[in-house]
Amino acid sequence: MRKIHIRVAMVYITAAILFLIIRSFVVPPTFGEYDWYRGDSVREIMELPPQHANATVCKDCHSERYDLWSGGAHSTVSCESCHGPSYSHTKDPIIVSANVDNSREFCGLCHAQNPSRPADFPQIDMDTHGNGNLCVVCHNPHSPWVFGGE
Amino acid sequence: MSEILWEVLNHIEGFIYPNEVEVNWSVLIALYPYITGLVAGAFIVASLERVFKVEAVKPTYRLALLTALAFLLAAPLPLVAHLGHPERALEIMFTPHLTSAMAGFGFVYAWYLLIVLLLELGYDYRKDVVKWAQTATGFRGFLYRILTMGDYDISEETLKKDEKLVGIITVIGLPSAAFLHGYVGFIFGSVKANPWWSSPLMPIIFLFSAMVSGIALVLLIYMASTKLRGKEMDMECVDTLAGYLLYTYILDLGLEFMEIAHLLYTQEEGIDAILILINDKLFVSFIIIQIFFGTLIPITLLVLSKTGLFRAKVRKFFYISASLLTLIGVFAMRWNVVIGGQILSKTFRGYGYYIMPLFGPESLTLALAIMVLPFILLAIFVKLLPPWDEPPLWMKTERRYD
Repeated sequence: MRKIHIRVAMVYITAAILFLIIRSFVVPPTFGEYDWYRGDSVREIMELPPQHANATVCKDCHSERYDLWSGGAHSTVSCESCHGPSYSHTKDPIIVSANVDNSREFCGLCHAQNPSRPADFPQIDMDTHGNGNLCVVCHNPHSPWVFGGE
Repeated sequence: MSEILWEVLNHIEGFIYPNEVEVNWSVLIALYPYITGLVAGAFIVASLERVFKVEAVKPTYRLALLTALAFLLAAPLPLVAHLGHPERALEIMFTPHLTSAMAGFGFVYAWYLLIVLLLELGYDYRKDVVKWAQTATGFRGFLYRILTMGDYDISEETLKKDEKLVGIITVIGLPSAAFLHGYVGFIFGSVKANPWWSSPLMPIIFLFSAMVSGIALVLLIYMASTKLRGKEMDMECVDTLAGYLLYTYILDLGLEFMEIAHLLYTQEEGIDAILILINDKLFVSFIIIQIFFGTLIPITLLVLSKTGLFRAKVRKFFYISASLLTLIGVFAMRWNVVIGGQILSKTFRGYGYYIMPLFGPESLTLALAIMVLPFILLAIFVKLLPPWDEPPLWMKTERRYD
Protein backbone atom coordinates (compact mmCIF):
# COMPACT_ATOMS: atom_id res chain seq x y z
CA MET A 1 0.00 0.00 0.00
CA ARG A 2 1.37 3.40 -0.98
CA LYS A 3 2.10 6.00 1.66
CA ILE A 4 -0.34 8.50 0.13
CA HIS A 5 -3.27 6.03 0.24
CA ILE A 6 -2.62 5.23 3.89
CA ARG A 7 -2.40 8.93 4.78
CA VAL A 8 -5.57 9.82 2.86
CA ALA A 9 -7.36 6.94 4.56
CA MET A 10 -6.04 8.15 7.94
CA VAL A 11 -7.39 11.67 7.29
CA TYR A 12 -10.82 10.29 6.45
CA ILE A 13 -10.86 7.89 9.40
CA THR A 14 -9.78 10.70 11.77
CA ALA A 15 -12.52 12.94 10.36
CA ALA A 16 -15.09 10.16 10.82
CA ILE A 17 -13.97 9.54 14.42
CA LEU A 18 -14.06 13.28 15.11
CA PHE A 19 -17.56 13.41 13.65
CA LEU A 20 -18.69 10.55 15.91
CA ILE A 21 -17.14 12.21 18.98
CA ILE A 22 -18.89 15.54 18.24
CA ARG A 23 -22.10 13.62 17.53
CA SER A 24 -21.93 11.91 20.93
CA PHE A 25 -21.92 15.36 22.57
CA VAL A 26 -24.46 17.04 20.33
CA VAL A 27 -27.17 14.37 20.07
CA PRO A 28 -29.14 14.00 23.33
CA PRO A 29 -28.79 10.51 24.82
CA THR A 30 -32.53 9.86 24.80
CA PHE A 31 -32.92 10.84 21.14
CA GLY A 32 -34.84 8.14 19.28
CA GLU A 33 -36.14 6.45 22.46
CA TYR A 34 -39.68 6.67 21.10
CA ASP A 35 -39.31 8.26 17.69
CA TRP A 36 -37.47 11.09 15.93
CA TYR A 37 -37.19 13.30 19.01
CA ARG A 38 -35.64 13.47 22.45
CA GLY A 39 -37.28 10.88 24.71
CA ASP A 40 -36.80 13.12 27.75
CA SER A 41 -38.99 15.78 26.18
CA VAL A 42 -42.03 13.51 26.72
CA ARG A 43 -41.25 13.21 30.43
CA GLU A 44 -40.56 16.96 30.70
CA ILE A 45 -43.89 17.77 29.07
CA MET A 46 -45.69 15.30 31.34
CA GLU A 47 -44.28 17.13 34.36
CA LEU A 48 -45.56 20.52 33.24
CA PRO A 49 -48.49 21.84 35.33
CA PRO A 50 -51.83 21.38 33.55
CA GLN A 51 -53.29 24.48 31.93
CA HIS A 52 -56.76 23.39 30.98
CA ALA A 53 -59.88 22.37 32.82
CA ASN A 54 -62.93 21.20 30.83
CA ALA A 55 -66.65 21.90 30.61
CA THR A 56 -67.62 19.33 33.27
CA VAL A 57 -65.30 21.06 35.77
CA CYS A 58 -66.90 24.42 34.87
CA LYS A 59 -70.32 22.85 35.45
CA ASP A 60 -69.47 22.16 39.12
CA CYS A 61 -69.78 25.87 39.89
CA HIS A 62 -71.59 27.36 36.88
CA SER A 63 -74.39 24.84 36.29
CA GLU A 64 -76.92 27.48 35.07
CA ARG A 65 -74.42 28.75 32.44
CA TYR A 66 -73.58 25.16 31.54
CA ASP A 67 -77.26 24.32 30.91
CA LEU A 68 -77.72 27.41 28.75
CA TRP A 69 -74.51 26.69 26.80
CA SER A 70 -75.10 22.96 26.29
CA GLY A 71 -78.53 23.57 24.78
CA GLY A 72 -77.46 26.43 22.51
CA ALA A 73 -75.70 27.02 19.21
CA HIS A 74 -72.33 27.50 20.93
CA SER A 75 -72.38 24.01 22.50
CA THR A 76 -69.63 22.91 20.10
CA VAL A 77 -67.34 25.68 21.37
CA SER A 78 -65.62 24.73 24.61
CA CYS A 79 -65.70 27.10 27.61
CA GLU A 80 -61.94 27.61 27.32
CA SER A 81 -62.15 28.64 23.67
CA CYS A 82 -63.41 32.02 24.88
CA HIS A 83 -62.40 32.06 28.54
CA GLY A 84 -58.88 30.76 28.00
CA PRO A 85 -57.04 28.01 29.90
CA SER A 86 -58.92 27.68 33.18
CA TYR A 87 -57.10 25.12 35.31
CA SER A 88 -55.62 27.81 37.58
CA HIS A 89 -59.08 29.44 37.88
CA THR A 90 -60.58 26.17 39.14
CA LYS A 91 -57.81 25.97 41.75
CA ASP A 92 -58.28 29.52 42.97
CA PRO A 93 -61.41 31.15 41.51
CA ILE A 94 -61.13 34.30 43.63
CA ILE A 95 -57.57 35.26 42.70
CA VAL A 96 -57.64 33.97 39.09
CA SER A 97 -60.70 35.12 37.20
CA ALA A 98 -61.93 33.51 33.99
CA ASN A 99 -62.85 36.78 32.36
CA VAL A 100 -63.41 36.95 28.65
CA ASP A 101 -62.86 39.60 26.02
CA ASN A 102 -66.36 40.76 25.08
CA SER A 103 -65.36 43.16 22.31
CA ARG A 104 -66.93 43.10 18.84
CA GLU A 105 -63.54 42.16 17.38
CA PHE A 106 -63.36 39.07 19.56
CA CYS A 107 -66.71 37.77 18.30
CA GLY A 108 -65.62 38.79 14.80
CA LEU A 109 -62.77 36.31 14.96
CA CYS A 110 -65.35 33.64 14.15
CA HIS A 111 -68.32 35.60 12.84
CA ALA A 112 -66.90 38.35 10.61
CA GLN A 113 -67.89 37.94 6.97
CA ASN A 114 -65.24 35.83 5.22
CA PRO A 115 -65.66 34.06 1.87
CA SER A 116 -63.50 31.16 3.00
CA ARG A 117 -66.05 30.23 5.69
CA PRO A 118 -68.90 27.83 4.89
CA ALA A 119 -71.87 29.76 3.51
CA ASP A 120 -74.26 28.46 6.18
CA PHE A 121 -71.98 29.56 9.03
CA PRO A 122 -73.38 32.65 10.81
CA GLN A 123 -71.38 35.62 9.52
CA ILE A 124 -72.04 39.34 9.82
CA ASP A 125 -70.87 42.54 8.22
CA MET A 126 -68.83 43.95 11.09
CA ASP A 127 -69.29 47.52 9.85
CA THR A 128 -73.08 47.59 9.83
CA HIS A 129 -74.39 44.77 12.02
CA GLY A 130 -75.53 45.90 15.49
CA ASN A 131 -74.74 49.58 14.87
CA GLY A 132 -71.38 49.28 16.58
CA ASN A 133 -72.80 48.00 19.87
CA LEU A 134 -71.13 45.20 21.76
CA CYS A 135 -72.46 41.86 20.53
CA VAL A 136 -73.31 40.80 24.08
CA VAL A 137 -75.81 43.70 24.35
CA CYS A 138 -78.18 41.63 22.22
CA HIS A 139 -76.76 38.08 22.09
CA ASN A 140 -76.15 35.87 25.06
CA PRO A 141 -72.67 34.47 24.31
CA HIS A 142 -73.49 31.15 26.02
CA SER A 143 -76.43 30.66 23.69
CA PRO A 144 -76.37 33.31 20.97
CA TRP A 145 -79.95 32.89 19.81
CA VAL A 146 -81.12 33.82 23.28
CA PHE A 147 -81.52 37.57 23.01
CA GLY A 148 -81.30 40.14 25.73
CA GLY A 149 -77.60 39.87 26.41
CA GLU A 150 -75.82 38.26 29.32
CA MET B 1 -42.35 40.80 5.59
CA SER B 2 -45.94 41.55 6.57
CA GLU B 3 -45.95 44.64 4.28
CA ILE B 4 -45.02 42.35 1.41
CA LEU B 5 -47.86 39.99 2.31
CA TRP B 6 -50.34 42.88 2.28
CA GLU B 7 -48.99 43.87 -1.13
CA VAL B 8 -49.27 40.24 -2.28
CA LEU B 9 -52.95 40.21 -1.27
CA ASN B 10 -53.60 42.92 -3.87
CA HIS B 11 -52.27 40.67 -6.64
CA ILE B 12 -53.94 37.40 -5.71
CA GLU B 13 -56.44 36.15 -8.23
CA GLY B 14 -59.40 33.82 -7.78
CA PHE B 15 -59.69 31.50 -4.79
CA ILE B 16 -56.61 30.31 -2.96
CA TYR B 17 -56.12 28.66 0.41
CA PRO B 18 -55.09 30.98 3.26
CA ASN B 19 -51.67 29.32 3.67
CA GLU B 20 -50.86 29.93 0.01
CA VAL B 21 -50.65 33.72 0.36
CA GLU B 22 -47.01 33.51 1.38
CA VAL B 23 -44.70 31.88 -1.15
CA ASN B 24 -42.47 30.04 1.29
CA TRP B 25 -39.91 28.71 -1.16
CA SER B 26 -38.34 31.92 -2.32
CA VAL B 27 -35.68 32.87 -4.86
CA LEU B 28 -33.12 31.09 -2.65
CA ILE B 29 -34.83 27.76 -3.24
CA ALA B 30 -34.74 28.45 -6.98
CA LEU B 31 -31.05 29.23 -6.64
CA TYR B 32 -30.29 26.01 -4.77
CA PRO B 33 -31.09 23.54 -7.59
CA TYR B 34 -29.46 25.99 -9.99
CA ILE B 35 -26.13 25.86 -8.15
CA THR B 36 -26.21 22.09 -7.60
CA GLY B 37 -27.05 21.74 -11.28
CA LEU B 38 -23.98 23.75 -12.22
CA VAL B 39 -21.90 21.43 -10.01
CA ALA B 40 -23.27 18.29 -11.64
CA GLY B 41 -22.93 19.79 -15.11
CA ALA B 42 -19.36 20.93 -14.56
CA PHE B 43 -18.41 17.49 -13.27
CA ILE B 44 -19.93 15.86 -16.32
CA VAL B 45 -17.77 18.13 -18.52
CA ALA B 46 -14.74 16.91 -16.57
CA SER B 47 -15.79 13.32 -17.12
CA LEU B 48 -15.94 13.85 -20.89
CA GLU B 49 -12.18 13.83 -21.00
CA ARG B 50 -11.58 11.24 -18.27
CA VAL B 51 -14.21 8.62 -18.96
CA PHE B 52 -15.31 9.25 -22.52
CA LYS B 53 -11.80 10.13 -23.73
CA VAL B 54 -12.85 13.30 -25.53
CA GLU B 55 -9.31 14.63 -25.84
CA ALA B 56 -10.41 17.91 -27.37
CA VAL B 57 -11.89 19.17 -24.09
CA LYS B 58 -8.76 18.41 -22.08
CA PRO B 59 -7.98 22.12 -21.46
CA THR B 60 -11.21 22.38 -19.49
CA TYR B 61 -10.83 19.20 -17.42
CA ARG B 62 -9.22 20.69 -14.32
CA LEU B 63 -11.07 23.97 -14.68
CA ALA B 64 -14.35 22.04 -14.72
CA LEU B 65 -13.35 20.14 -11.55
CA LEU B 66 -12.41 23.35 -9.72
CA THR B 67 -15.65 24.96 -10.91
CA ALA B 68 -17.60 21.99 -9.58
CA LEU B 69 -15.80 22.29 -6.22
CA ALA B 70 -16.34 26.06 -5.94
CA PHE B 71 -20.04 25.75 -6.70
CA LEU B 72 -20.45 22.67 -4.53
CA LEU B 73 -19.11 24.56 -1.51
CA ALA B 74 -21.70 27.28 -2.12
CA ALA B 75 -24.56 24.85 -2.88
CA PRO B 76 -25.90 24.44 0.68
CA LEU B 77 -25.80 28.19 1.40
CA PRO B 78 -29.19 29.04 -0.16
CA LEU B 79 -30.77 26.30 1.97
CA VAL B 80 -29.01 27.39 5.13
CA ALA B 81 -29.92 31.05 4.49
CA HIS B 82 -33.52 30.08 3.72
CA LEU B 83 -33.95 27.96 6.85
CA GLY B 84 -32.38 30.65 8.99
CA HIS B 85 -30.77 28.41 11.60
CA PRO B 86 -27.24 27.68 10.44
CA GLU B 87 -26.40 26.16 13.83
CA ARG B 88 -28.87 23.35 13.06
CA ALA B 89 -27.49 22.62 9.60
CA LEU B 90 -25.42 19.65 10.71
CA GLU B 91 -28.31 17.98 12.49
CA ILE B 92 -29.31 16.19 9.29
CA MET B 93 -25.93 14.49 9.56
CA PHE B 94 -25.99 13.91 13.32
CA THR B 95 -29.47 12.38 13.38
CA PRO B 96 -29.88 10.98 9.88
CA HIS B 97 -33.47 10.55 8.82
CA LEU B 98 -33.41 8.03 6.04
CA THR B 99 -37.01 8.50 4.94
CA SER B 100 -36.56 12.21 4.20
CA ALA B 101 -35.46 13.00 0.65
CA MET B 102 -34.35 16.45 1.81
CA ALA B 103 -32.15 14.97 4.57
CA GLY B 104 -30.67 12.67 1.95
CA PHE B 105 -29.01 15.77 0.52
CA GLY B 106 -26.58 15.83 3.44
CA PHE B 107 -25.29 12.38 2.57
CA VAL B 108 -25.25 12.80 -1.17
CA TYR B 109 -23.45 16.12 -0.70
CA ALA B 110 -20.89 14.72 1.74
CA TRP B 111 -20.22 11.71 -0.46
CA TYR B 112 -19.83 13.85 -3.55
CA LEU B 113 -17.59 16.42 -1.89
CA LEU B 114 -15.40 14.12 0.21
CA ILE B 115 -15.19 10.96 -1.81
CA VAL B 116 -15.57 12.15 -5.38
CA LEU B 117 -14.39 15.71 -5.87
CA LEU B 118 -11.65 16.10 -3.26
CA LEU B 119 -10.12 12.69 -4.01
CA GLU B 120 -10.25 13.22 -7.75
CA LEU B 121 -8.69 16.67 -7.47
CA GLY B 122 -6.13 15.41 -4.94
CA TYR B 123 -4.88 12.53 -7.07
CA ASP B 124 -5.09 14.45 -10.33
CA TYR B 125 -3.06 17.38 -9.00
CA ARG B 126 -0.61 15.18 -7.07
CA LYS B 127 2.31 15.51 -9.45
CA ASP B 128 1.95 19.29 -9.69
CA VAL B 129 1.40 19.67 -5.96
CA VAL B 130 4.60 17.71 -5.23
CA LYS B 131 6.53 19.88 -7.67
CA TRP B 132 5.02 23.07 -6.25
CA ALA B 133 5.79 21.90 -2.71
CA GLN B 134 9.41 21.53 -3.69
CA THR B 135 9.70 24.96 -5.24
CA ALA B 136 7.15 27.31 -3.68
CA THR B 137 7.89 29.14 -0.44
CA GLY B 138 5.89 30.92 2.22
CA PHE B 139 2.20 30.16 2.77
CA ARG B 140 1.82 28.57 -0.64
CA GLY B 141 4.73 26.24 -0.04
CA PHE B 142 3.30 25.33 3.36
CA LEU B 143 -0.09 24.61 1.82
CA TYR B 144 1.36 22.47 -0.95
CA ARG B 145 3.50 20.54 1.53
CA ILE B 146 0.35 19.73 3.53
CA LEU B 147 -1.42 18.68 0.35
CA THR B 148 1.37 16.25 -0.56
CA MET B 149 0.69 14.46 2.76
CA GLY B 150 4.37 13.70 2.95
CA ASP B 151 4.42 11.51 -0.15
CA TYR B 152 6.76 12.95 -2.75
CA ASP B 153 6.90 9.83 -4.92
CA ILE B 154 6.08 10.96 -8.45
CA SER B 155 7.78 8.22 -10.38
CA GLU B 156 6.33 7.24 -13.74
CA GLU B 157 4.82 4.10 -12.22
CA THR B 158 3.01 5.84 -9.34
CA LEU B 159 1.69 8.55 -11.64
CA LYS B 160 0.25 5.85 -13.88
CA LYS B 161 -1.47 4.34 -10.85
CA ASP B 162 -2.80 7.78 -9.88
CA GLU B 163 -4.15 8.21 -13.38
CA LYS B 164 -5.98 4.89 -13.12
CA LEU B 165 -7.36 5.79 -9.70
CA VAL B 166 -8.66 9.15 -10.97
CA GLY B 167 -10.36 7.28 -13.81
CA ILE B 168 -12.10 4.98 -11.30
CA ILE B 169 -13.15 7.93 -9.12
CA THR B 170 -14.61 9.71 -12.17
CA VAL B 171 -16.60 6.60 -13.08
CA ILE B 172 -17.98 6.53 -9.52
CA GLY B 173 -18.44 10.31 -9.70
CA LEU B 174 -20.66 10.24 -12.76
CA PRO B 175 -23.62 8.47 -11.14
CA SER B 176 -22.92 10.46 -7.97
CA ALA B 177 -23.22 13.74 -9.90
CA ALA B 178 -26.39 12.44 -11.54
CA PHE B 179 -27.72 11.45 -8.13
CA LEU B 180 -26.76 14.78 -6.55
CA HIS B 181 -28.83 16.69 -9.00
CA GLY B 182 -31.42 14.09 -9.91
CA TYR B 183 -32.53 13.97 -6.29
CA VAL B 184 -33.39 17.70 -6.34
CA GLY B 185 -35.77 16.96 -9.21
CA PHE B 186 -36.93 13.89 -7.28
CA ILE B 187 -38.05 16.10 -4.38
CA PHE B 188 -40.17 18.28 -6.64
CA GLY B 189 -41.40 15.33 -8.68
CA SER B 190 -42.58 13.62 -5.49
CA VAL B 191 -44.97 16.39 -4.48
CA LYS B 192 -47.95 14.51 -5.82
CA ALA B 193 -50.50 17.17 -4.80
CA ASN B 194 -48.98 19.65 -7.24
CA PRO B 195 -49.54 18.78 -10.90
CA TRP B 196 -46.91 21.31 -12.02
CA TRP B 197 -44.27 19.34 -10.09
CA SER B 198 -45.53 15.80 -9.77
CA SER B 199 -43.84 13.87 -12.55
CA PRO B 200 -41.38 10.99 -12.66
CA LEU B 201 -39.67 12.90 -15.50
CA MET B 202 -38.69 15.66 -13.12
CA PRO B 203 -35.32 14.18 -11.93
CA ILE B 204 -34.26 13.54 -15.54
CA ILE B 205 -35.33 16.99 -16.71
CA PHE B 206 -33.39 18.52 -13.82
CA LEU B 207 -30.38 16.40 -14.67
CA PHE B 208 -30.32 17.35 -18.33
CA SER B 209 -30.83 21.03 -17.63
CA ALA B 210 -28.00 20.70 -15.10
CA MET B 211 -25.75 19.28 -17.80
CA VAL B 212 -26.76 22.08 -20.14
CA SER B 213 -26.03 24.79 -17.56
CA GLY B 214 -22.78 23.13 -16.40
CA ILE B 215 -21.39 22.85 -19.93
CA ALA B 216 -22.38 26.47 -20.63
CA LEU B 217 -20.74 27.63 -17.41
CA VAL B 218 -17.46 25.80 -18.05
CA LEU B 219 -17.45 27.02 -21.65
CA LEU B 220 -17.99 30.59 -20.53
CA ILE B 221 -15.40 30.41 -17.72
CA TYR B 222 -12.88 28.84 -20.08
CA MET B 223 -13.42 31.54 -22.71
CA ALA B 224 -13.34 34.34 -20.14
CA SER B 225 -10.23 32.96 -18.42
CA THR B 226 -8.23 32.58 -21.64
CA LYS B 227 -9.19 36.14 -22.57
CA LEU B 228 -8.25 37.44 -19.12
CA ARG B 229 -4.89 35.63 -19.24
CA GLY B 230 -4.28 36.92 -22.76
CA LYS B 231 -3.85 33.38 -24.11
CA GLU B 232 -4.90 31.84 -27.38
CA MET B 233 -8.25 30.07 -27.15
CA ASP B 234 -8.21 26.39 -28.12
CA MET B 235 -10.94 26.54 -30.76
CA GLU B 236 -11.16 22.75 -31.08
CA CYS B 237 -11.91 22.53 -27.38
CA VAL B 238 -14.47 25.34 -27.53
CA ASP B 239 -16.14 23.91 -30.65
CA THR B 240 -16.33 20.43 -29.09
CA LEU B 241 -17.79 21.74 -25.84
CA ALA B 242 -20.32 23.82 -27.78
CA GLY B 243 -21.21 20.68 -29.73
CA TYR B 244 -21.91 18.80 -26.49
CA LEU B 245 -23.92 21.78 -25.27
CA LEU B 246 -26.06 21.57 -28.40
CA TYR B 247 -26.65 17.80 -28.14
CA THR B 248 -27.52 17.99 -24.45
CA TYR B 249 -29.77 20.95 -25.17
CA ILE B 250 -31.69 19.04 -27.81
CA LEU B 251 -32.23 16.15 -25.38
CA ASP B 252 -33.25 18.61 -22.65
CA LEU B 253 -35.70 20.33 -24.97
CA GLY B 254 -37.11 16.94 -25.96
CA LEU B 255 -37.66 16.03 -22.31
CA GLU B 256 -39.31 19.37 -21.55
CA PHE B 257 -41.55 18.90 -24.57
CA MET B 258 -42.45 15.39 -23.41
CA GLU B 259 -43.37 16.72 -19.98
CA ILE B 260 -45.66 19.42 -21.39
CA ALA B 261 -47.10 17.01 -23.98
CA HIS B 262 -47.87 14.52 -21.20
CA LEU B 263 -49.62 17.21 -19.18
CA LEU B 264 -51.67 18.26 -22.19
CA TYR B 265 -52.49 14.74 -23.30
CA THR B 266 -53.52 13.29 -19.93
CA GLN B 267 -55.64 16.38 -19.14
CA GLU B 268 -55.48 15.57 -15.47
CA GLU B 269 -57.17 17.64 -12.80
CA GLY B 270 -55.69 21.12 -12.78
CA ILE B 271 -54.73 21.24 -16.45
CA ASP B 272 -56.85 24.37 -17.02
CA ALA B 273 -55.08 26.07 -14.15
CA ILE B 274 -51.69 24.99 -15.56
CA LEU B 275 -52.53 26.38 -18.99
CA ILE B 276 -53.31 29.77 -17.44
CA LEU B 277 -50.12 29.46 -15.40
CA ILE B 278 -48.07 28.96 -18.56
CA ASN B 279 -49.89 31.40 -20.81
CA ASP B 280 -50.41 34.19 -18.33
CA LYS B 281 -48.73 33.98 -14.93
CA LEU B 282 -45.40 32.59 -16.13
CA PHE B 283 -45.59 33.91 -19.67
CA VAL B 284 -42.51 36.12 -19.37
CA SER B 285 -40.33 33.78 -17.32
CA PHE B 286 -41.42 30.56 -19.07
CA ILE B 287 -42.31 31.32 -22.69
CA ILE B 288 -40.14 34.39 -23.26
CA ILE B 289 -37.08 33.82 -21.05
CA GLN B 290 -36.87 30.04 -20.58
CA ILE B 291 -38.13 28.76 -23.92
CA PHE B 292 -37.39 31.59 -26.37
CA PHE B 293 -34.28 33.37 -25.08
CA GLY B 294 -33.02 30.54 -22.88
CA THR B 295 -33.49 27.58 -25.22
CA LEU B 296 -34.44 28.34 -28.83
CA ILE B 297 -31.97 31.18 -29.41
CA PRO B 298 -28.97 29.33 -27.90
CA ILE B 299 -29.86 26.20 -29.91
CA THR B 300 -30.11 28.31 -33.08
CA LEU B 301 -26.76 29.97 -32.38
CA LEU B 302 -25.12 26.61 -31.69
CA VAL B 303 -26.60 25.08 -34.85
CA LEU B 304 -25.39 28.09 -36.86
CA SER B 305 -21.89 27.61 -35.43
CA LYS B 306 -21.99 23.98 -36.55
CA THR B 307 -22.70 24.89 -40.17
CA GLY B 308 -19.08 25.86 -40.77
CA LEU B 309 -20.14 29.14 -42.36
CA PHE B 310 -18.75 31.31 -39.63
CA ARG B 311 -15.21 32.29 -38.73
CA ALA B 312 -13.77 31.56 -35.32
CA LYS B 313 -14.35 35.13 -34.14
CA VAL B 314 -18.06 34.96 -34.96
CA ARG B 315 -18.35 31.51 -33.44
CA LYS B 316 -16.80 32.80 -30.21
CA PHE B 317 -19.43 35.50 -30.10
CA PHE B 318 -22.13 32.90 -30.72
CA TYR B 319 -20.78 30.67 -27.95
CA ILE B 320 -20.57 33.51 -25.42
CA SER B 321 -24.12 34.61 -26.24
CA ALA B 322 -25.45 31.04 -26.23
CA SER B 323 -23.75 30.25 -22.90
CA LEU B 324 -24.99 33.41 -21.20
CA LEU B 325 -28.52 32.88 -22.49
CA THR B 326 -28.36 29.23 -21.42
CA LEU B 327 -27.35 30.18 -17.89
CA ILE B 328 -30.22 32.67 -17.72
CA GLY B 329 -32.64 30.20 -19.30
CA VAL B 330 -31.78 27.38 -16.88
CA PHE B 331 -32.19 29.72 -13.93
CA ALA B 332 -35.58 30.68 -15.38
CA MET B 333 -36.42 26.96 -15.51
CA ARG B 334 -35.62 26.59 -11.77
CA TRP B 335 -37.62 29.75 -11.08
CA ASN B 336 -40.61 28.51 -13.05
CA VAL B 337 -40.59 25.17 -11.26
CA VAL B 338 -40.10 26.54 -7.75
CA ILE B 339 -42.11 29.76 -7.87
CA GLY B 340 -44.59 28.58 -10.53
CA GLY B 341 -45.47 25.52 -8.48
CA GLN B 342 -46.30 27.69 -5.52
CA ILE B 343 -48.34 30.42 -7.17
CA LEU B 344 -50.53 27.67 -8.66
CA SER B 345 -53.13 27.26 -5.92
CA LYS B 346 -54.17 23.76 -4.83
CA THR B 347 -57.73 24.94 -5.39
CA PHE B 348 -56.92 25.11 -9.15
CA ARG B 349 -59.20 28.13 -9.04
CA GLY B 350 -56.74 30.86 -8.18
CA TYR B 351 -53.15 32.08 -8.22
CA GLY B 352 -50.85 33.45 -5.61
CA TYR B 353 -48.22 36.06 -6.25
CA TYR B 354 -44.52 36.26 -5.49
CA ILE B 355 -42.77 39.49 -4.60
CA MET B 356 -39.01 39.25 -4.22
CA PRO B 357 -37.66 41.78 -1.72
CA LEU B 358 -34.50 43.66 -2.71
CA PHE B 359 -32.85 43.46 0.70
CA GLY B 360 -33.01 41.31 3.80
CA PRO B 361 -33.51 37.57 4.19
CA GLU B 362 -34.79 35.72 1.10
CA SER B 363 -33.93 38.75 -1.02
CA LEU B 364 -32.44 39.44 -4.41
CA THR B 365 -29.23 40.84 -2.92
CA LEU B 366 -28.70 37.76 -0.75
CA ALA B 367 -29.29 35.50 -3.76
CA LEU B 368 -26.82 37.55 -5.82
CA ALA B 369 -24.25 37.45 -3.01
CA ILE B 370 -24.55 33.65 -2.81
CA MET B 371 -24.26 33.43 -6.59
CA VAL B 372 -21.10 35.57 -6.63
CA LEU B 373 -19.42 33.54 -3.89
CA PRO B 374 -18.52 30.48 -6.02
CA PHE B 375 -16.78 32.74 -8.54
CA ILE B 376 -14.64 34.19 -5.74
CA LEU B 377 -13.90 30.67 -4.49
CA LEU B 378 -13.04 29.61 -8.03
CA ALA B 379 -10.65 32.55 -8.42
CA ILE B 380 -8.87 31.48 -5.20
CA PHE B 381 -8.73 27.81 -6.28
CA VAL B 382 -7.41 28.76 -9.71
CA LYS B 383 -4.75 30.92 -8.07
CA LEU B 384 -3.67 28.12 -5.73
CA LEU B 385 -4.10 25.21 -8.12
CA PRO B 386 -3.64 26.59 -11.65
CA PRO B 387 -5.61 24.32 -13.97
CA TRP B 388 -4.01 25.53 -17.18
CA ASP B 389 -2.25 23.38 -19.69
CA GLU B 390 0.73 25.72 -20.08
CA PRO B 391 3.95 24.95 -18.27
CA PRO B 392 3.13 25.27 -14.59
CA LEU B 393 5.06 27.36 -12.10
CA TRP B 394 7.38 24.54 -11.08
CA MET B 395 8.43 23.93 -14.66
CA LYS B 396 9.23 27.61 -15.08
CA THR B 397 11.22 27.56 -11.87
CA GLU B 398 13.10 24.45 -12.96
CA ARG B 399 13.92 26.19 -16.19
CA ARG B 400 15.13 29.21 -14.29
CA TYR B 401 17.54 27.02 -12.36
CA ASP B 402 18.78 25.28 -15.52
